[in-house]
Amino acid sequence: MRTKQLLLTVFVSLLLFPSLVFSAGTKESAAKTTDDGVITLSVYHYLDQTDKTTAPNFAYLVEEFERKNPNIKLQFEYGYGESFHDKLQTLAVSGQLPDIILLYPGKRTSQVTSAGLVKDLRPYLQGHENEFADMAMQAQGEKGEIWELPEDISITSIMFTNNRLLKELGLSLPKTYAELLAQGPIIRKAGLIPLSIANKDAWPMQSCVAGMLLERTGGMEWFDKAIAGDARFDDQVVVDAMEIIKELTDKEMFSPGTNQLAYGQGLDDFVNERAVYFIDGGWTVNNMVGELTDEQKTYMSLESFPDVPNQKGKSLSVSATAGQGFGMNAKLSDKESEAAWKWIWFYSGPEGSAIRQRFGRLPAYNLSEPSDADPMIKKLISFAGNVPMGYVMDSVLGAEPIGTFNINLQNMMFGTMSPKQVAQELETMVEAIDRK
Amino acid sequence: MTFSQQKRASYWLLLSPGLLLFSAVIVFPVVFSFSLSFTTWSGYGFPKFMGFANYTKILADPIFQHSLRNNLLIVAISVFGQIPLGFLLAFMLHRRMVKGGEFYQTMIFLPITISPVVVALLWNQIFSASGLITAIVRRIYDDPRYVMTIFENRNLAILPILFVLLWMHTGTYMIIYLANLQKITPSVLEAAQIDGASESQMLGRIILPSMIGTIATTAILAISGSLKAFDLIFAMTGGGPAHFTEVIALYMYTNTFKYYKYGYGSAVSILIVLLAVGLILILQTISRRIERNYE
Amino acid sequence: MTRNVTIWKILSYLIMITFTLLTILPLIWMFLNALKPHALIVRNPLMPPVSFYVLNFVRSWTQGHLGVYFSNSIFYSMVSTLITVFIAMGSGYALSKFSYRSSRVIYMFYTLGLLITVHSVIVPLFIMETKLGMANTRLGVIIPYIAFGLPFQIFLATTYIKGIPDAMQESAIIDGATFLQVFRKIILPVATPIISTMFIYTFLGNWNEFILVQTLTSDISIRSLPVGINSFAGGMSRDYGLQFAALTIGTVPMVIFYLIFRDKIAQGFAAGATKE
Repeated sequence: MRTKQLLLTVFVSLLLFPSLVFSAGTKESAAKTTDDGVITLSVYHYLDQTDKTTAPNFAYLVEEFERKNPNIKLQFEYGYGESFHDKLQTLAVSGQLPDIILLYPGKRTSQVTSAGLVKDLRPYLQGHENEFADMAMQAQGEKGEIWELPEDISITSIMFTNNRLLKELGLSLPKTYAELLAQGPIIRKAGLIPLSIANKDAWPMQSCVAGMLLERTGGMEWFDKAIAGDARFDDQVVVDAMEIIKELTDKEMFSPGTNQLAYGQGLDDFVNERAVYFIDGGWTVNNMVGELTDEQKTYMSLESFPDVPNQKGKSLSVSATAGQGFGMNAKLSDKESEAAWKWIWFYSGPEGSAIRQRFGRLPAYNLSEPSDADPMIKKLISFAGNVPMGYVMDSVLGAEPIGTFNINLQNMMFGTMSPKQVAQELETMVEAIDRK
Repeated sequence: MTFSQQKRASYWLLLSPGLLLFSAVIVFPVVFSFSLSFTTWSGYGFPKFMGFANYTKILADPIFQHSLRNNLLIVAISVFGQIPLGFLLAFMLHRRMVKGGEFYQTMIFLPITISPVVVALLWNQIFSASGLITAIVRRIYDDPRYVMTIFENRNLAILPILFVLLWMHTGTYMIIYLANLQKITPSVLEAAQIDGASESQMLGRIILPSMIGTIATTAILAISGSLKAFDLIFAMTGGGPAHFTEVIALYMYTNTFKYYKYGYGSAVSILIVLLAVGLILILQTISRRIERNYE
Repeated sequence: MTRNVTIWKILSYLIMITFTLLTILPLIWMFLNALKPHALIVRNPLMPPVSFYVLNFVRSWTQGHLGVYFSNSIFYSMVSTLITVFIAMGSGYALSKFSYRSSRVIYMFYTLGLLITVHSVIVPLFIMETKLGMANTRLGVIIPYIAFGLPFQIFLATTYIKGIPDAMQESAIIDGATFLQVFRKIILPVATPIISTMFIYTFLGNWNEFILVQTLTSDISIRSLPVGINSFAGGMSRDYGLQFAALTIGTVPMVIFYLIFRDKIAQGFAAGATKE
């Protein structure tokens, strides 16, 4: 009997254990002000330091900022890929969030934003709302909060087109999905890839294709309803969209072995002119600026996926989202917040946006088109101004439904799941996790 | 200080630094994990008690079942692949069946020294659809669309990983066995040879029986290592495509760090430990029975 | 009889040569590709380099901060390995020669430690370290390295020391030596073979460790080589030339280290795996 009691006591105390650890308060913010009035702020940023385009560009931005604000010192920590999110999660759970953090507008970092760990930026932003693209000013929190100031607009479903190859093959840009399918055999016969996409990491098919197709088959109105729970993700329109992906796979339109190709291979095949079309996000223009030759830039264009059968959404629409941006730790003092805002505003506001635009980004801040920009950047800007925009799935649905959906798309491409099953499981997951 | 006091004091003095560090870094977090495994917790606020709900959910999840199957295959390739092959290699080297044995020994052990991350990237460059093997086959058959379909098959996708694991770890076992073979008195083998025993007979009747203890020990290492397998697979396939190459440690990682289900993830890691303990107990029973048969 | 031997010989050469090729070819291929610019690798991964494009090495070294990472790796591996081996030897001695009842329990405890993955403790560990102000410090890396090294090293040490005849210890004790003196003057010297094995094994493990450094540190100045190498592996950067160069930089030191200590490893394993 006594051992039983002992075991019970041990068990109960073990269960109380986590709460003990986590009730023990959190640390003050890391910001420091030295005697000479210099404020040091810690910043957590998403950056691959070995990226030969982005890393030097970012370093340049920081340099510019520190030159103009000698009394603010920024201390960076970088992460990228999955480990960026792992570390952010660990920092947040342990109450060690840096002063300034790169956050995402959708669900990707909602664990941090919805826990009240970051400040609402609206008071700081007041009066400048009209200077940004509407998409960037959409509410991020439940009460309309803006947790981060979006740096860019990300269009995730651009169909980059090699017009030289098209012409050589005697083809022209397809207006309808059927026309696109009909081009497949001709392109393959020439030893080329019809639609270059590398889906080993499983997110590209969802982020760059599925969301766009959902807008086409269902329309925005349906999309909003489905998110709210008034329509379902296993409606026929979703199955239709899935059928299109399935058909594109079965008719060998995608890169051979697409589910084995690491992200980046898609761009490689396009740059080396082994593919006629290439589906990816606007962020790749950044790389194209450096990797395409001047001659190539004259015949590469940015297009939308052609019209699909029974299209309820808008013709030529793409999926797009306001991108990530910096937010600030809720614990900062007034003076520190002011300094943090200076950086946030510099980065996503007029000054930083102008610099980033020249580097090939599509800033959320409204700028006039630069006359000296790279031809690819000009093409991106004019493309963005001319196409209707729908949702990117991973910015409106939670991490787990999206994670499962990504994988299920692969399953469907392999034939281990049917389009109907993929839609049903998406509905089940969204219902269980996002709509509660 | 009396002798026994001195003895006891030295005992604890020698043990305490290790115990202290081990408890702080491993035991304490594991206890934490254990208690968390009965709750749902997303990282903020208080964990909610759930009883065994996490465990039943995990066991019913087909992705977990497939991961478990992959893990068991990895255990199998370790116990029935790396160990026998390592043993065979050690036997061949010990019986000097090849010239320049030293060189081969070095080459077979070499993969161990390379970081799993590097190994993964290297083999990915070889296996991937944009990599070496595909490039060779495409050239030979002049078919620019050729891809290896083995990676896209739910049951077979794990094979390339098993192959790399076999290549990576056989060397460790070979070295261990080689060292132990050197302890067998040469005269015993010579006597057998004079009596007309073939190499296979010597292997079966003299060498194997004397190595059972060592083999059992290495099998424990093989099992515990196999169930923890993470680095190589994470860097090679990330469990994909479509969870085909998923293993339990990866399943735990995804649930904890990507889906923020700390309670669920903790339950998975507790299951890994339970599974390993179970397998090791079975192994010990078997090896004890075999040893008894030989006595 | 001779036919029998010949079959064995053919089989041996077959397996040995297969293994050797499997090891050498990828490594050579890696090295050759490290000498090619990205564009050339993409166009034709099989072709040998036309000229030696050393810039890959220079750029991966500077862009990836590999210099700093390299010296950190040496520091972490050396310090934590020395401490791990010393503690493991002490524990191994205590667990194998004192015959207290608690030894069995503690030994079991460590054996279970072999089964714990880093991922299942990383979050609580990080929380603990930040509360103690140890996160993002060198000490905060070294301590988990030691703790994770202990179970396997204690396993090796204990089995080895068990094999040292009790008589050696007993005669010294009768002559009035304390147990700590026995440890220092008898056990440690006799156990040199296993110590070198333990040293090499732990060193390799620490050198290649990735997740702990990645999570527990944030400053470039205190991170280690695998973090640097891994940053060439994914993300949006796709320069295969740089990737191969970084892989080469990460691989070569350990291969050299192994070739130097090769004999010690073999010797030590001989000793380490001794049962009884």
